[in-house]
Amino acid sequence: MIKRALQPWPDSRAERTLGAASLLVGVCVVGMLVFVAVQAWPMFQHQGLSWLGSGGNVDSQLGNLEHAGAHPSASGYYLRAWPLIYGTLLTTGIALALALPTALLSSIFIVEFAPAFLRRVMIPVIRLLASVPSVIYGLIGILVLVPFVGNDLITASEKTSVQNVVELTGAGLGVAALVLAVMITPIMVALITDALNTVPRAWREGAVALGLNPLRATLAVSVRAIRPAIVAAAVLATARALGEAVMLYMVAGSVGFAPKPVDGVTFFFEPLKTLASSIVESAEGLGAPALHAAAYAFALLLLFSAFTLSLAGYLVKLPLRKYEVRA
Amino acid sequence: MSRIRRIAVAFAVVGVLGVATPAAALATSLITISGSTASYPLVELLANKYRKVEKNKVKFKIAQGGSQAGINDVTFGRVSIADVSRDPKSTDPKGLDFYPIAKYAVCVVTNDSNPISNLTAAQVLAIFTGKTRNWSEVPGAKASGTIDLISRTSSAGVLSSFETLLNGGKKVSTLAAQKTSEGLLKQAVEADQNSIGFLSNYNADSGGVNSVAYNGIGCTRANAASGQYAGIAHFYEVTNGAAKGAAASFISWIDKAKAAQSIIASEWVPLNE
Repeated sequence: MIKRALQPWPDSRAERTLGAASLLVGVCVVGMLVFVAVQAWPMFQHQGLSWLGSGGNVDSQLGNLEHAGAHPSASGYYLRAWPLIYGTLLTTGIALALALPTALLSSIFIVEFAPAFLRRVMIPVIRLLASVPSVIYGLIGILVLVPFVGNDLITASEKTSVQNVVELTGAGLGVAALVLAVMITPIMVALITDALNTVPRAWREGAVALGLNPLRATLAVSVRAIRPAIVAAAVLATARALGEAVMLYMVAGSVGFAPKPVDGVTFFFEPLKTLASSIVESAEGLGAPALHAAAYAFALLLLFSAFTLSLAGYLVKLPLRKYEVRA
Repeated sequence: MSRIRRIAVAFAVVGVLGVATPAAALATSLITISGSTASYPLVELLANKYRKVEKNKVKFKIAQGGSQAGINDVTFGRVSIADVSRDPKSTDPKGLDFYPIAKYAVCVVTNDSNPISNLTAAQVLAIFTGKTRNWSEVPGAKASGTIDLISRTSSAGVLSSFETLLNGGKKVSTLAAQKTSEGLLKQAVEADQNSIGFLSNYNADSGGVNSVAYNGIGCTRANAASGQYAGIAHFYEVTNGAAKGAAASFISWIDKAKAAQSIIASEWVPLNE
């Protein structure tokens, strides 16, 4: 039997086998979506879409879900998860705003300006960084950055100014967004350097011959040519940031609070909780049916955002295709 | 045809092995437990002793997660016993049997660098409901600045016991950081000079944090045993319906055996004391 499988396959059999494999992947993805939706259904059934709104303290509400008993009534599903959704958008948005320019500029340096020996070292190092498990970033964040921010950056008066609303311990938006940015930058650098390498040398040389200096030539020709790849890198990095759970559970304070931009600098010290990290936090209470449905509803929302994100990325790329490099 | 037969035989062999192994293991029984992180140290000691007494015929699988996680697990039949560190509530599912096994004290704790010796009931209430927010308003406090409240997630039985016994039946302020276990709460209080929290007496006595007297009575095992201390709560073993089989023998062994009672008396308080 094994001997036969090792012999060269006829085309028809190879086609069917490969087709079956890719079909299997598709079936798994659809099956998972349906499963998550079915498990999340009680939340939608009892709360409609109003659970996406704001109102009350989301931590107490998640606690009440756990105490709702074996057969929760419609009111047992009461949840207003806006602070979690806001926290997810906020950390992802700030991290992307920090990471995208950093990644773009460092990729330009690596590909166009760095000496050859540096390039040979940096590209593998950045690829390694891109594959570091997020829990390691979380560990450094909670053991180094959080105590530093809590003891040295937050002043007593800042703590007092919000003492009746929220406690500042060091874990919060600033540290979370920063660590998240450090986490997603290498992924973007890896993708953008690959794209820059595919830009034909002659295009840039032509621009230099027309009198542009090297930096302007890079910005005007190379970066413009790889815009679709930049969008793709940003989409991939955003997807990773959206779904990041463990690291944010560790460094964001895990308090269902919505940081307020009107608080000035204190805004960056205020704690928050994201959708994915509240799934991690609820893990031990998932025996309760109401909390179980809430966790699946969060998962469905994350899947939906990932889908929207890919679609948006595709739509943004369409008009940029004009000058695309086809490697 | 012969290939299909060979595969069928292979499946049959695997199937027989799969059925035979658990059958051989039936000689020993397994007790699964989940729930309270506060009673975990006690239940683990008891389980180790019981395993020796029963000459390894009993096996234990003990998970934590908080009292409410235990209640949910035992209701759905995922474990045979739930550890619970609070009294039964009217919201608990019907048909659960609560077997008290020991008493313990709930202690208010602060950082070692802020060794407050005593808080009155009114002070505890004001601090934990978020009315008093600054250490300057607390006489005898060495810390200065905002009070960092450290509480437990709502799954915790010690949280309910604390609210009922020491916090005048009021909820702990939502300002508080919520920790998922006694160990994490203790770490948080150890790390933060401005913090205040609450622990069961076993963890409060084990060093690293300052245990505060309540209304002038120290939170010690002796004061809990004499009944003077206000915050005395119970650890329960909870089963779905009356306890049966191995779980029932374990619970009645805790209740009757001298060895079990002496383990309880080492750090906690036996029921009859």
